[in-house]
Amino acid sequence: MNRHTHVTGLLGVALVATIVLAVPVKAHHSFAMYDMGATRVFTGVVDRVDPAVNHLGIFFAVMNEARDGVLRNEKGEPVIWTVEMGGSAQMARQGVSVNTFPRGTVFSVALHPLRNGEPAGSREGPMFKCPDRNSRPALGKHCDSVEGHVAIGSGTLPTPTK
Amino acid sequence: MRIGAWAAAVLAGAFLVFGPSLVAQQVADPGFQSVGRGAPLLVDINEGAGDGGGRGGRGGGRGNQGTPPGVTPEGIEALPVDLFTTTDFYKDRALWSDQRYFRCNTSTAIENIWGMGRGSNRLGDDPPRTAAWGPCDQDYPREAIVSPYPFQTAQEHYEALLEETRGRGGPTEHTYATVPNDWTGRYFSSGQHWYNMGRVQVPTVLSVLTEEYQTRMVQEAYHQGVTNKPQWQSQYCWPEGFMRRWHAAAVRDHQILVTPELVQISAGVADNFMTNIHIGREFEMDGVVPRLGADVPRWYGETIGFWDNDVLITWTSNIQGWKVHAATEHSNKMQTVEIYTPYRDDNGVLQGLQQEAIFYDPEAFVEPVRIVRNYAKRSGLAEGDPLVFIECLQTIYEIDGTATPISPGQVIDYKVRDMMGRPWAQIWEEYWEHGMERPEEEDVFSFD
Repeated sequence: MNRHTHVTGLLGVALVATIVLAVPVKAHHSFAMYDMGATRVFTGVVDRVDPAVNHLGIFFAVMNEARDGVLRNEKGEPVIWTVEMGGSAQMARQGVSVNTFPRGTVFSVALHPLRNGEPAGSREGPMFKCPDRNSRPALGKHCDSVEGHVAIGSGTLPTPTK
Repeated sequence: MRIGAWAAAVLAGAFLVFGPSLVAQQVADPGFQSVGRGAPLLVDINEGAGDGGGRGGRGGGRGNQGTPPGVTPEGIEALPVDLFTTTDFYKDRALWSDQRYFRCNTSTAIENIWGMGRGSNRLGDDPPRTAAWGPCDQDYPREAIVSPYPFQTAQEHYEALLEETRGRGGPTEHTYATVPNDWTGRYFSSGQHWYNMGRVQVPTVLSVLTEEYQTRMVQEAYHQGVTNKPQWQSQYCWPEGFMRRWHAAAVRDHQILVTPELVQISAGVADNFMTNIHIGREFEMDGVVPRLGADVPRWYGETIGFWDNDVLITWTSNIQGWKVHAATEHSNKMQTVEIYTPYRDDNGVLQGLQQEAIFYDPEAFVEPVRIVRNYAKRSGLAEGDPLVFIECLQTIYEIDGTATPISPGQVIDYKVRDMMGRPWAQIWEEYWEHGMERPEEEDVFSFD
């Protein structure tokens, strides 16, 4: 590789990196609130898709390990997490919208959690939607293991860090 | 197609005599028997007395004061329980169709009953039990509210009008040289129609709503008239929502820009309304509702349209469900067909636009409804106050279920509401409906 090719290659890498990494720069808010070094993976039940926030958010109740119910707090209320992702139009073009994720939808998602421990995170990697509420994952599994699941994005669910 | 010269003269004369707030409601006569526009309006809202117990004023809004607090109108037998004495309005559904349940007050009158100015006491000395009655002999007929056309969907309606226009040699493809440029300008639109809710009895409105949306309207009436916990959207800088385009307090001054490809209607008092009419475009039809852009419900929808000479016919879809306080809620299924027809004076000078709008929302309405109103032209863009773009900064917050102005420096507890889940109702149900038996919601978090 001569010097010219090497420099061109570096510029190309830099350009691609700029495009890829520029997303947060274009966003409505800083993503510094999230711990990008941590990953958590959930299977949950959609409470609400809110398309009107900074970025599309899904509020969901976290399912238990047995996948036969949701975690509840001391009042018996579902434990609700929020996962934030891209803008509403962008996400709709990927198949995530109010209409495709109605209340009660079971899905799996990985996220970078908030640094302060509050129950919210920034989506990481693909999501998987279970085909219906009666076709839930087995113990400890996620929707990507269920036949007939719908994948949003490519690849596999990231490995959780904790 | 122009409205008849006589009608234009009437409209122009009314505007000159009464000012822009009182222009006769008149459906534009297309000059031929149309499949879906121009059907006469059965009753002009300006005819008859005022408003069923609201504030004083004209036709679509205000007027008759009803009877003093504590006085049942002559010849009327009060119900044993009504909105102002009930302990659980949900249990009273069978009474909702009786205007006595609301003491003949319109929803606007109910909304105003706690907020009236001094000297206008309509609550009596033991509110809400002593709340006053509105005029029971006053109403706006259901027949004048429902659509006069046979269509069950906006798509059917729009396509029939398009086919009709094609049969007449259209749609007209305007260029910058032929588009009706005199539409561009500033307009005033008042609330001279039934949806301002100043003259129509509550049961009449309920009769066009589905059971669920009846419940929602009565729920709001209760919390406006009885608990005095109004939750208006703009008090919290929430979005106004699509149907507020037709509510007098939300839109008065309008700016219209006309180009061959796009007609833009802008308005707003507490928030911005923008209707972009995309001429000649077609909706994507592969989703839950027709849409132009991404599968994201939009607060004010997306609109396509075509010209039939100088008449503009539009179809709006992909609307975010929301509410109008003192009126009705609507769902994401809401769609409209709107017809804008110019009216001119004898010299051909544009006086305004007559708008006929038909609303299709199978979740909210048991059948389509229609609103007819006028935009009175005030000037071109070279004069008059410019359009104001509004940014709302919140100063009123919900404190323990009550809307409360907060001063800088105050520290408050604040509960974040689910904005896509009727946040106004969440407040009422958490604080002001203890002991009531609401219809149960589906539990999506339990699995059999």
